[in-house]
Amino acid sequence: MRTLAVDFLLRESPNAIAIVDTKLNFISYSNEWIQKFTLNSNDITNKHFFDVTVELPETLKTAIINGIKGEKNINTGEKFTLPSGKTLWLKWKILPATFEANEFDGVIIFLDDITVYKKEIELLHKAEEVARIGCWELDLNTGLVNWTKTTKDIHEVDENFKPNLEDGINFYKEGIHRDNITHLVSTAIADLKSFHTELIIITAKGNEIWVAAKGEVEIVNGKAIKIVGTFQDIDERKKIELAHKEITERLKITNQSAKIGTWDYDLIEDKLVWDNEMYRIFDVKKDQFSGVFEAWSSTIHPNDKEKTVTATKNAISGIKDFDEEYRIYHQNGSIRHIKGISKTIKDFSGNPVKMTGANWDITDLRSAELKLEQNSKLFAETFEHSAIGMALVSPELKWLKVNRSLSKSLGYTEEELLNMKTTDITYPDDLTDSEAFKTKVFNNEENNLQLQKRYFHKNGKIVHAIIGVTPVKDLKGKPSHAITQFLDITDSIDSKRRLETLVDVTKSQNESLTNFAHIVSHNLRSHSTNMTMLTKFLNKEKDENERKNLNKMITSATESLTETIAHLNDVVQVKTGALEKLQSISVLNTINQITKSINGLIEEQKATINIDVSKSHFVNAVPAYLESIFLNVLTNALKYSSPNRNPSIKIKSILKKDHVLITFTDNGQGIDLDRHGDKIFGMYKTFHKHKDAKGIGLFITKNQIEAMSGSITIESIVDVGTTIFIELKQS
Amino acid sequence: MKKVEICCIIDDDPIFVYGTKRIIKEVDFANSVIVYNNGQEALDGLMKTCIANEPLPDVIFLDLNMPILNGWEFLDEFKNCKSPRSKKIVIYIISSSVDPRDLERVKNYDQVDTYILKPITPDDLTKILGALVES
Repeated sequence: MRTLAVDFLLRESPNAIAIVDTKLNFISYSNEWIQKFTLNSNDITNKHFFDVTVELPETLKTAIINGIKGEKNINTGEKFTLPSGKTLWLKWKILPATFEANEFDGVIIFLDDITVYKKEIELLHKAEEVARIGCWELDLNTGLVNWTKTTKDIHEVDENFKPNLEDGINFYKEGIHRDNITHLVSTAIADLKSFHTELIIITAKGNEIWVAAKGEVEIVNGKAIKIVGTFQDIDERKKIELAHKEITERLKITNQSAKIGTWDYDLIEDKLVWDNEMYRIFDVKKDQFSGVFEAWSSTIHPNDKEKTVTATKNAISGIKDFDEEYRIYHQNGSIRHIKGISKTIKDFSGNPVKMTGANWDITDLRSAELKLEQNSKLFAETFEHSAIGMALVSPELKWLKVNRSLSKSLGYTEEELLNMKTTDITYPDDLTDSEAFKTKVFNNEENNLQLQKRYFHKNGKIVHAIIGVTPVKDLKGKPSHAITQFLDITDSIDSKRRLETLVDVTKSQNESLTNFAHIVSHNLRSHSTNMTMLTKFLNKEKDENERKNLNKMITSATESLTETIAHLNDVVQVKTGALEKLQSISVLNTINQITKSINGLIEEQKATINIDVSKSHFVNAVPAYLESIFLNVLTNALKYSSPNRNPSIKIKSILKKDHVLITFTDNGQGIDLDRHGDKIFGMYKTFHKHKDAKGIGLFITKNQIEAMSGSITIESIVDVGTTIFIELKQS
Repeated sequence: MKKVEICCIIDDDPIFVYGTKRIIKEVDFANSVIVYNNGQEALDGLMKTCIANEPLPDVIFLDLNMPILNGWEFLDEFKNCKSPRSKKIVIYIISSSVDPRDLERVKNYDQVDTYILKPITPDDLTKILGALVES
């Protein structure tokens, strides 16, 4: 009866229980056993354990065999991999029994397959590990702390580590982190308040990591008995977050110091947000306007309003991002130049949802640009309008740019010059110097160099210039071109030359004046001394005849003096004779007039005059001079005629360029030019023994001709004849 | 008092010649006077005298400004005369010229004793005579 009752209880047990005898044959078993551990569900009573039981680990088999021998064996759970490859978790209890105590002799086996349960635990741990979320538990009654494996992993302690509350707290970094967790746990216990915090711990290996600790208080009868929570490694995320925060902060600082204002416009919420820098840039107060858009548009310069509004509309509708420069007014009325850009952010379907943008003040840049532009303009203007020639010249000596003055000095247009090299129009003798100069300039030797050189003007004339050159280097320090200043000194060189000529003329005139003065003094003195002497004689002379003779001589001396003075007067007249009296005179007419006036003389000497002068020859002359010249030349020819032949005079005129050349050829005595050539036109030079020779005629003639810018030369052979060549300007 | 044997005047101005002759007579400067009207005439005449071995003048009064051959040219030609007798002749330049260049130029001719500015006076001749006697 008792056995039956026990049997029944055993059979209906929710656990798998089996009782075997010493021969390992089943005595009794629970239904659960049949279901879980037998090969088939038939009655197994008296069947051998190993014949009807499913595959079991050797450990268990051994434990059962040992159980018959009276050995107890308990396994609280172990994972087994069977020879068939199957993995399972088993937990058992093997209790040996003796017949006296338990009415049988054998072994009671409690066996439990805990594989499913264990698998779940294992998965949970795996999940913990992957998420790096561990769990912890603080039993407030016992003060014991329990950490899951992941929690231990995060702390970098081994699995056997058994923490207490103090240990757990001491893992937090000293300072605010440890203070914080202490406070949170205390509050949780005292005020039953859960917590969630992010703090730094120092792991057992000394690594500093960010963790998230969460704690929930378990309350029983209004009192905290347990705190359970999670513990998560958030180091990576936290660090990214912190880095992001830092970058954001840095960007903010950057924007602030770069004075870049940024804004965001949520198109869906229709909300525009400015950062502080924006308010500063636009010089508006935060509470001054109902909305920032109004604040912004109110500052814009009226002339720029339309374009900015259009650009804004285009940006909002997503046609084109905002990218404009515009002017705004500050409150003090000053105008600032602003550069604004925006980016429109669209959703997946391409609808604009948000705009973000930046603005900065470019006034300084603008004014610097403006200044640069002005400077460039100024340089260009200075260059163009400079009174001295300026040019940019390449290292190959090509004109790159020339100004008006230079064009003017050289006579070439800018276009012509730009197709030339400077050496193309350099005076040949100056080429060597120019080349040497170029080498100097472009070889960095000096910065400011000067050279005086000559060029050919387009009209072929020589242009004298002083050129000053400054080399300009490119970014690599290589000479790119040279700025050449060109000072045209042709005029001053010319005037210097004119001055020199003038000095020469003055010198020679001065010399001739000195001569003249001496001649004058000599001639006047010779007459006056004669008169003095004769007067003295006269005073002493008693003889009447001799006195008469002396008187005659005094008269003659007086006449000579008068004559000399008259000559001098003529000479002075010629010297001061002005060119403005010049007229166009017919050469032939004048000759005819003179020959007529000395007709008596001609006839007396039985002279023949042959005139071959064209009617059309007119000269620029003073009429009185021309008459005097012809008269002088003709009377000379008659005066110094050869005693052996009748005088024959040929007068001829020919055109020579813009001059008329008139020649007088006679057959007279001639003159030894080798001997007297240098004195022939001198004052008071006479060369013949002739009572009328005064040595003044040719002197005056020459002076008269030269006063009319003409010239006179002579050719003569003694006892053959003389030819006088007179050249006068044709009119 | 001793006087010059032959005095020669080379001048183209008849009044001067007349005056000089008269003063020569006045101070009894020379026994005889020869007159040439210009340098060329004088050169020809003196050359002829020299060749004929006739007496040469002791003193020449030479004008500078003359036609054909002036005083300077005469001096240049006269220098070339190789006759030792001609070297003894003392030459006086008598001119109206106050040109310093003329006075300077005289220094180039050793044979010229003095430059006398016209008009020539009896005193001048007396001094010349005295100097000639001394030498």
